[in-house]
Amino acid sequence: MSENGSAQTEAAVAQSNGAASADSPLVDMINIHKYFGSVQALRGLDFRVNRQEIVGLLGDNGAGKSTLIKVLTGFHTPTRGQIFFDGDEVEIDSPTRARELGIETVYQDLALVPLMSIARNFWLGQEPTYQIGPLKFLDQKLMEESTIDALADVGIHIRTADETVGTMSGGERQSIAIGRAVYFGKRLLILDEPTSALSVGETQKVLDYTFAAKDKGMSVIFITHNISQVHEVADRFTIIEHGRKLGDFTKDEVSQQEVANMIVSGVVPERLRLFDEDGKKENA
Amino acid sequence: MDALISRVGGEKQTTPIVMGAMWLLGILGFAVIALVLLGWLPFGERANISRRDINLIEWIIVMSAFLYGAASFHAGSGLLQGKQEGIRWGQWVAFATLFLGGAIIMSVVIPATLKHVLLNAEGINLATVLDGSVDSIGSSQRFLVFPADSLGNLGGILTTVGLLGIAVTAMLALASFVLPGLNVITHFLTEGAYSRRFLRLLMLTLILGVILMLIAGSYVVNSFPEAIGKIRHPAYQHLFAGVIFLVVGWFSYVALAQDEEESDELRRAVSLSPAKTIRTQLAKSPSAGAIIGAMAIFFFFAVASDLFLEQSSVASFLSNISTKGIIAIGVTLLMISGEFDLSIGSILGVAALSFLAFMTDGAPLLGVLQPLEAAILTLFVVAVLGGINGTLLIFTRIPSFIVTLGTMLAFRAVTLVAIAGGRILRYSDYHEFLPVVTIPGIVFVALAVIGILLLLYSAYRSLPVMWRRLQESATQLRANVGVDAGPNEAFRSVDVFFRALSLLVVAMVILVFLGWLVIVIGYHLSDQGSEVEVGFFDITNGRLINHCAVDPALIETGEAVMQGRERLGEGECSVERIVAGEEVRYRGMMHPVGAIVSDDLVGWDVNTRANFRLSIIWWLFFVIVFHLLLTRTTYGNRVFAVGGNPGAARAQGVNVDRVKMRNFIILALLTGIAGIYEVARNPGVDPLKGEGWELEVIAMTVIGGTLLSGGYGSIIGSMLGALIVGMLQTGLVLVGIPSRLFAGTVGVTIIVAVVMNTFVRGGAQD
Repeated sequence: MSENGSAQTEAAVAQSNGAASADSPLVDMINIHKYFGSVQALRGLDFRVNRQEIVGLLGDNGAGKSTLIKVLTGFHTPTRGQIFFDGDEVEIDSPTRARELGIETVYQDLALVPLMSIARNFWLGQEPTYQIGPLKFLDQKLMEESTIDALADVGIHIRTADETVGTMSGGERQSIAIGRAVYFGKRLLILDEPTSALSVGETQKVLDYTFAAKDKGMSVIFITHNISQVHEVADRFTIIEHGRKLGDFTKDEVSQQEVANMIVSGVVPERLRLFDEDGKKENA
Repeated sequence: MDALISRVGGEKQTTPIVMGAMWLLGILGFAVIALVLLGWLPFGERANISRRDINLIEWIIVMSAFLYGAASFHAGSGLLQGKQEGIRWGQWVAFATLFLGGAIIMSVVIPATLKHVLLNAEGINLATVLDGSVDSIGSSQRFLVFPADSLGNLGGILTTVGLLGIAVTAMLALASFVLPGLNVITHFLTEGAYSRRFLRLLMLTLILGVILMLIAGSYVVNSFPEAIGKIRHPAYQHLFAGVIFLVVGWFSYVALAQDEEESDELRRAVSLSPAKTIRTQLAKSPSAGAIIGAMAIFFFFAVASDLFLEQSSVASFLSNISTKGIIAIGVTLLMISGEFDLSIGSILGVAALSFLAFMTDGAPLLGVLQPLEAAILTLFVVAVLGGINGTLLIFTRIPSFIVTLGTMLAFRAVTLVAIAGGRILRYSDYHEFLPVVTIPGIVFVALAVIGILLLLYSAYRSLPVMWRRLQESATQLRANVGVDAGPNEAFRSVDVFFRALSLLVVAMVILVFLGWLVIVIGYHLSDQGSEVEVGFFDITNGRLINHCAVDPALIETGEAVMQGRERLGEGECSVERIVAGEEVRYRGMMHPVGAIVSDDLVGWDVNTRANFRLSIIWWLFFVIVFHLLLTRTTYGNRVFAVGGNPGAARAQGVNVDRVKMRNFIILALLTGIAGIYEVARNPGVDPLKGEGWELEVIAMTVIGGTLLSGGYGSIIGSMLGALIVGMLQTGLVLVGIPSRLFAGTVGVTIIVAVVMNTFVRGGAQD
């Protein structure tokens, strides 16, 4: 594992020395370690997202998916390891920094503030303002109008942005959170279990938004337990187990059943093993 | 929408009746204005009937009647046109009418009950008092202590029922909120009808409990004969008018409420777009419960006691509550962001102590300071204390309850150690005269210029819009002349009239204020106003109505300040002296705008003894500033987010810790300001200054609708919460109920307020 990691490191450094070429992956996380006290959540994990690609991040509970994402979005700083974004090495030490890089995340449980209106939720953290003297006031009119327009852009139609989020259904809330992420996210969209509490129809909508984001030129990391859903949208799967990567697989080479088996058993099928260990398959 | 309108305009027989009622109510409103202005319908404390004598209360009634009448006309004409808007306005008018009817009935029932019960306790029949056969009750009447011999009569039964009611209510409330299986709120939110009925029942029991408790309270403790005299004589003929209002209001409300339900369904079917009903509008505002509560309590005391609306009563509760109200603003802000602070009482003590000590004993290294310097240094000190609270919270992650419980005790040690031996630190032990600051007139000129600019800006924003709307209405009216001479035209002419009127009023108000500011500038540019000497304590928290003349000779010697303050208390000088154009020099807040005071204050029956303090104005100022901060700025948005869902806020790049830290410091600063006001009002500090304030202020905030769990609340609500507490404090004494019941009443009020807030808010979410 470690040899493999260092080999990739060299490759990535070589890439970053040159100009950020279109070929380089959007995100390259190399040899990431994260310890919480004595608990080793991530143990030398490599993770990569190419441009305009939907990656399904899979793994059992406690495999380290959420920790990995939180490292990428600046909630946690890695104990060890490097992160390359757009070919440059970056240090993501806060959610704000992640945002600056163009990474937007929709978290399963902490997406929206239920007692605030749609518009205020939508613009939270980057509110449009006008200035009178030293004071910055919210431009409420612009907030409301642009929220409606912006959500319409990604296919979500609301009548008023004045309603509190608490009065809406789970699917509507998730739509707004994703709509916001797509609107503000320039490069990478991370969806953390976006469909876990949704009905069938609502789930389909969320998958549509995912494609819409890809069409806008973004990359997407899609985290879920539901393999059939992720198999429908993802170009590639990354399976994680016990803080390590089990492997990367393109959509064509594995069936849903194989993916499910891998998550459960933690064993990569014989026919796939060679390609992955070399790390050549993806570069080809 | 069309279906709805046709239903209102066509099929329903009730609609024309409601419409007619609206027009009649409108006429009534304007009739009341005429009657009051002509002096045929006296209100409040009016000595003699003369047109010049219209007092503050009557002006309030005139304005309310105008709003009421205008709203009724608007509703009536809207219904005539079959407009959606008409229904909405109609609902508000119906609601107001219902409330008015209830208030009038209460104005008879409350004093009658109180008087009956109290007289009964004294063994006097009410009828004989009303007949006039007993004019006053002698102080020789025996005092009656429960339950000596009263169990046999009605009062005793009432008392028993009242106490039982409280016990049952308390148990019920406790059980329904605490026991997991019976959790009312969850039931209410999830199940609907059954639980809602249960909740309503609970509320009724609670309210009944409060009423019974008030009555019982007058029994349990000795009832004082003098108190009975203060309670208004019930005027039974008013019952008739009250019932009529109640019936009309109820009928209109029910008739229109049917449409409300339909429109509500419509709302759900069509979209989220709001057909704004009273309920949804109220539910959107966190202060809904507080608005209703403040109105109810105000009316209760207004009708129960003649003394409650006297200027001195109003002044007393406003002045007492204003400093706490200022702290409540900070508490609200902090509570919305999900934390709270128990140490504010101790911080207030430290603030008052530092401010006074810096001016008397002197600050370490700096010596004795001037008042302004002392105030600034005090604010610095309290900011540090707030910072300590915030830092402890952020770095230890211990809940704010524990952290601030610790700092509450720790900060209290400062005053306990500094003022040892049961001493009281007093300003007058160190200095002979109260501090005076000299302010150059140019400061006032600058302030006035800023005021003028603000006025011009608001005129620039509002007037053109109003003018355009008036023009639009007028063109439509002109276009329709002769063509469609029906209800539309009637509506439009009313519309044009009110638009023109409001434009005129706004323009006039702006002009008057502009003129006033110009005069102020002129005054301060002249020699007379080029330098203003003001008592420092006067500009921080002096008496507001302070037109008192001070002998010029005394000013020269410097004695005037002290003497002036003493004289004010006696109400020796009056407006008349100033109006009479006597050569007077005076200090206090009116001095800087002195040019105006001598102008026209006639007609306003100003009671110079009423203790209106400047802190009331400061309180209002802070309320407005922080309300804008909370609702209109980025910072406010983040405060809500941090309390509502800290994870989401952090994920959106909000620095949660920084927001909380700032709120702790803002609260500490506001507490410091309140401490300075307290010292300015009464320049002495004892070691326990501010003890117990923290819970009282938190109570105000909770009554005002702010959630203890954070994410929801309003500054206006907290202001109303403070008013409720203040009115209870003064009002209970005025209706003859011993102040010992004050804490208990506030306790019940908190429970009622929270239940009511949950009820109203729940309505928005199902």
